[in-house]
Amino acid sequence: MLAYIARRLALAVGTVLAAIVITFLLVHAGNTTPGAVRLGPGATADRIAAENEALGWNRPLFTQFTDYVGQLLQGNLGTSLIDGRDIAADLTDRLPVTASIALFATLLSGVVGILLGVAAAVRGGRTAQGITTGSGVALSLPSFWVGILLVYLLSLQLGWLPATGYTEFSTDPVGWATSLAIPVLTLAVGGAAIVTRTAAAGMREALAQEHVRTLRAMGTPQWRIRYVHALRYASVPVVSVLGIQFIVLFGGSVIIENLFALPGLGQASQVAAVSSDFPALIGVVVVATVVVVITNLLLDLLVAALDPKVRTA
Amino acid sequence: MSVLPLDAADEVATEPVPPARRRGLPAFLRRPGGIFGATWLTFVIVASLTAPLWRPYEPAEQDTANALALPSAEHWLGTDPLGRDLLSRIFTAGSLPLLSSALMLVVAFGIGLPLALIAAERGRRVEQVISRLTEVLIALPATILLLAVIGVIGNRLYPVMAILGVMISASVYRVLLGVAQSVRQRLYIDAARVNGLGSLRVNLVHVLPSMATVVAVQAAQLFGIGLLIVAGLAFLGFGPGEPEPSWGFMIQDASGYIYTAPWLMVPTGLVLALTVVAANELADAIAGKVAVAGRAGRRRRRGPLRRAVAAAAAGTAEAPDPAAVLQVRDLSVSVDDGPDLVTGVSFALQPGRVLGLVGESGCGKTMTARSLLGLLPDGVSVSGGSILWRGRELVGLSEREMSALRGREIAMISQEPMVALDPMFSISSQLTGPIRRFRGVGRSEARKIAAELLRNVGIVDAERVLKSHPHQLSGGMAQRVCIALALTGEPDLLVADEPTTALDVTVQAEILSLLRALVRDTGLSVVVVSHDLGVVADICDDVAVMYAGQVVESGTAEAVLDAPAHPYTMALLGANPHVPEGEPVPERLASIAGTVPPPGSWPTGCRFASRCRFAQERCTVPFPELPAHGAGSVLCIRVDELSRDHAVWEPEHAGDEIATPLAPPAPVAGVSR
Repeated sequence: MLAYIARRLALAVGTVLAAIVITFLLVHAGNTTPGAVRLGPGATADRIAAENEALGWNRPLFTQFTDYVGQLLQGNLGTSLIDGRDIAADLTDRLPVTASIALFATLLSGVVGILLGVAAAVRGGRTAQGITTGSGVALSLPSFWVGILLVYLLSLQLGWLPATGYTEFSTDPVGWATSLAIPVLTLAVGGAAIVTRTAAAGMREALAQEHVRTLRAMGTPQWRIRYVHALRYASVPVVSVLGIQFIVLFGGSVIIENLFALPGLGQASQVAAVSSDFPALIGVVVVATVVVVITNLLLDLLVAALDPKVRTA
Repeated sequence: MSVLPLDAADEVATEPVPPARRRGLPAFLRRPGGIFGATWLTFVIVASLTAPLWRPYEPAEQDTANALALPSAEHWLGTDPLGRDLLSRIFTAGSLPLLSSALMLVVAFGIGLPLALIAAERGRRVEQVISRLTEVLIALPATILLLAVIGVIGNRLYPVMAILGVMISASVYRVLLGVAQSVRQRLYIDAARVNGLGSLRVNLVHVLPSMATVVAVQAAQLFGIGLLIVAGLAFLGFGPGEPEPSWGFMIQDASGYIYTAPWLMVPTGLVLALTVVAANELADAIAGKVAVAGRAGRRRRRGPLRRAVAAAAAGTAEAPDPAAVLQVRDLSVSVDDGPDLVTGVSFALQPGRVLGLVGESGCGKTMTARSLLGLLPDGVSVSGGSILWRGRELVGLSEREMSALRGREIAMISQEPMVALDPMFSISSQLTGPIRRFRGVGRSEARKIAAELLRNVGIVDAERVLKSHPHQLSGGMAQRVCIALALTGEPDLLVADEPTTALDVTVQAEILSLLRALVRDTGLSVVVVSHDLGVVADICDDVAVMYAGQVVESGTAEAVLDAPAHPYTMALLGANPHVPEGEPVPERLASIAGTVPPPGSWPTGCRFASRCRFAQERCTVPFPELPAHGAGSVLCIRVDELSRDHAVWEPEHAGDEIATPLAPPAPVAGVSR
């Protein structure tokens, strides 16, 4: 078990380093330089060259890399080329927005998906067919289109929720919750569809296991076989897919934040990409990678806790 | 071998009837989802690529007087805020996402597929290196990294999608590696290599074709994902700029008009959504996934069955045996709307005795045993006859009534102890659950009883076993736990389905002596299913030999094993490698030519006739009544002649391999009764 955790940790560190290396190489492979970005169009080549020199752009790549990692370990991600703001502080403000959308969307997907998936596996027949078809459609819908439809329905037609914008939790908790509601629902449509499919397949597999026959031969009540034994068996794939969903939804929030004008990481990465703000780009990639890596680690531990075969290995 | 009858029955039950005539269409095009997916994708691809030839308007042609129009004869799908025709714009915009997703696919498979083939071929070290690298790649946040790429190389869709293809190749590799490895493990690949085929040829000729389905499924799914990503990027403004149309940007544009012109978001969104749905439906259809109607037909028709039972009981001359705890009379088990699996089986079990059901695989032993607990597979049910358990009719009881009996009165141990226990729960919780339910005791008391039960089945360190999970136990230990579990409800009848088949020989003997001791000490009655005559001789008091869904001979174990009367019993004994002590080992074992005819193709007359050495012409016609023989009964028309002639099922002599019975009679389906 300890060796397993150690291996996972090593992979996690490796992944973060790989993300930095890849973005570093990417940035240096392009023909735009940070000096040109900072000074904007119309700057003379001399001034750009001087600016690049000042930014340390011409130092050996490896030195820049080790410097960056050194700064990173102290929680420093540099400053924006565009407006000079501190990137680490900016992203710290933004992370909770994206993380809470992704987290709530994952939880909602989990609840809806498990209910529907279990219903499909247990009821069978028409119910299963309807749920399978419905989830097939739901997971194919573009999230930004679903978002607009939901705004039209819940905000314009019914007037229940605000269409866009973000309210700080500290200023107005209820406003905060309502401002996240449509984005969360939007992301949860696709997420719930995937969880539904996994839960249905997992339950079906669980109910076909040999040990279910033993349970029936012991006169175990039906509900106990389904909701204690089979559900427990199906929990491993379902939890794994929930973890993956969190990661997917975290990335998918780029589009959702743009649609709903939410000040999260996704919005920051879009702005940085549009303006070629290199330090901001690298910073977003690093933060997002760290989130993904930590999610994966937690997921591994959770699966190990759920599955006796991994736990006792 | 013992697992087969069940599997065969399941297959009969679930295999869909093949269409009368195949029209040469691939299977996925015969499912509605596949038809829809293929048709819509073809339509969108053709319509998009040929859009310049047929579009009614130029995509940038403005008609400001007609802005934000609803569908009309002039503009089938309406117009956008500048009065541009939506139909023309949507299909003009289509080729970019379609082509760039295709490019992404080519890159992803161009990298992932060869890597998977190499990793599967070159063995563990190479595989480990490649797999670690792809794990890192998979763990990177793809969307955000993609934006970083755009930030550096600018808004150029084809290179961006090619880079996305590189990132996705890691997932492609992951999936394909598993397939490639399992294909490689098949023996014919080794055979091909031995035959001197080069690595490339082995991959091209043998490995790749076997992976085609998985590749197709993956490709269809990823194509849909690619479309969503291209549209998403365009939505964020990373697509072709105005006035060029793009799906994502058209939806972004529409989002600004939901107050005034909600229709605007419908056509584009619908075309995009339908295209992705089509790709996913196609993937599902290729994968052969259909919404499983599985448990729809669970509720069995009890009405006609009850009548059948009553009729059978009335028609049987045999009076119920008052001494028997269990009396099975004329039992039939059938696939619903399908062939019979067991017909006319009768036997009786006295208290404290052990009855063996013996025969080859596919003879209906397991079906008979499982009908005692009402645990037949889905789609299989008792179709006639009677099972009297302590004077109570079990056939026709509801699931709830049967469930109340299971464990308390009749318990079962199965053939695969390693998979019979729930892998997610500790032994302790699996034992204490039923103990508390059956005996109404508290948690700590139940644990004490559990430990005691484990000691009773010969487990010395009961405490350690209680704390273990099933995967930590050996096969023999797991079977002991299963027996302890079966005993938690203090049942009167134990049904043991091949209880030792999956175990090592030494462990087999231990489990058998445990069962013997339990019968002796507790007065339990047991029905043992086995193909192993050694097991039967070891613990059975009575034997019923089954062949092709019938009991062909029954009686006390002594009588049947020492003086077999039915040719099939003789043949089984002749084929049995267990040699009694003090007798010389025969040079050759006798064998039984041919195989058990599967349900649905049982011949009329004697079902064993086609394999029987003693068969004559009259054996193949239905015989009116069963000749009685001694205390047991024998289902053979020639039984008296054979016993008079002291017929023996001799091992074949060399060169005499091909048995020369009658030509097998043409199987007549459904006339088996």
